Amino acid sequence: MNQAGSPAPDAATLAALIRRVATARDKQAFAALFKHFAPRVKSFLRRAGMESGAAEEVAQEVMILLWRKAEHFDPSRAGAATWVFAIARNARIDHARRAKGLPPQPEPEPEAAPSAETLTLAAEQAARLRGAIAELGPEQKQIVQLFFFSDTPHAAIASALDLPLGTVKSRIRLAMAKLRSSLGEVP
Amino acid sequence: MILHHPSPETLLAYAAGSLPAGQSLVVAAHAEGCPHCRAEIARLEAVGGEMLEDMPPESLALDAFTDTLARLDQPAPRSPALPRQADLRLPAGTLPRILASAEISRWLWVAPGVRYSRVRLPWAPKDNVMLLRVAANKRVLAHSHGGAEFTQVLHGDFHDETDRYAAGDLIEEDEHTNHQPHAGNQGCLCLASLDGGLRLPWLTRLIRRSA
Repeated sequence: MNQAGSPAPDAATLAALIRRVATARDKQAFAALFKHFAPRVKSFLRRAGMESGAAEEVAQEVMILLWRKAEHFDPSRAGAATWVFAIARNARIDHARRAKGLPPQPEPEPEAAPSAETLTLAAEQAARLRGAIAELGPEQKQIVQLFFFSDTPHAAIASALDLPLGTVKSRIRLAMAKLRSSLGEVP
Repeated sequence: MILHHPSPETLLAYAAGSLPAGQSLVVAAHAEGCPHCRAEIARLEAVGGEMLEDMPPESLALDAFTDTLARLDQPAPRSPALPRQADLRLPAGTLPRILASAEISRWLWVAPGVRYSRVRLPWAPKDNVMLLRVAANKRVLAHSHGGAEFTQVLHGDFHDETDRYAAGDLIEEDEHTNHQPHAGNQGCLCLASLDGGLRLPWLTRLIRRSA
């Protein structure tokens, strides 16, 4: 486990830790993952508008789901942070439904094998993406962030930034086109 | 070949988890058959992953970790009972896999050659989703929308005043669209999510007359 103050583990280390949970039910690996992800997931949920107690509860749920689903983690399809993000996103939606007395949406069966055309968004591509995000201007980065945290994105972003809806839409398009071109994809 | 895809904002909202459940279901159905959109969604989720990595960590309660450890080996909640699904007498593999957890009603008559089946999502029972089947060369009534309408063509094709749409295509329309879909020679089967319901001129007239 990392000592307090040590640098955050990199994407490859995180992926290896999830594999250890999957193959060996390794609780030390889980502890390291908890230390890295739980505070970030809590922070993500707080920004999405959840109050502190609920964010803490759902962050713990996300970590339990990580433990249970670890064997479905396929590092050739998605990086560790991407995989945890998807779990946290779904847990946030399920939490909102539970508050209304509604059941969660069952997850579709995982595909048997990664399909050939699936992008390999593994560790090195995550690094490229990180570089691309760093190169976005502060304004565009803020819009992308708001989009990922807010429940009613367009309207919330428009009112948070005091911009007309159309401007928000075109700025998101622009930011996403930039990210895509930095990843070497044809927009 | 798929010519009509969800808009970039729709894919982003889907990846961010902010799309309403009905629309999200239709986008998932599209992605099942569209490698292009699957790859784009994977890219967008990777952006979400980076946003998560970027979060300033917010510490949890002191006992949060031991509390979580103690719960790790509790059994996972049982998956919900299989939803009620009427037999729509469609060839196997016609319906997208994402529909497996939805309730599906039998075919209901709308107009000559036009039938629909109500798709109810237990996790979002108010979202208005349906399967629509239009016989060869029949038309759906001209209508506009109270909100967004997402339509995924599952089989056959249709055209309206602006374009032609075939199996695999997803069509996004908003409250400004007023159209009259017209099925092609093989008829047409669609999965649609309707926000705010349909606005049918004849229904409005009927209501006015009875008022």
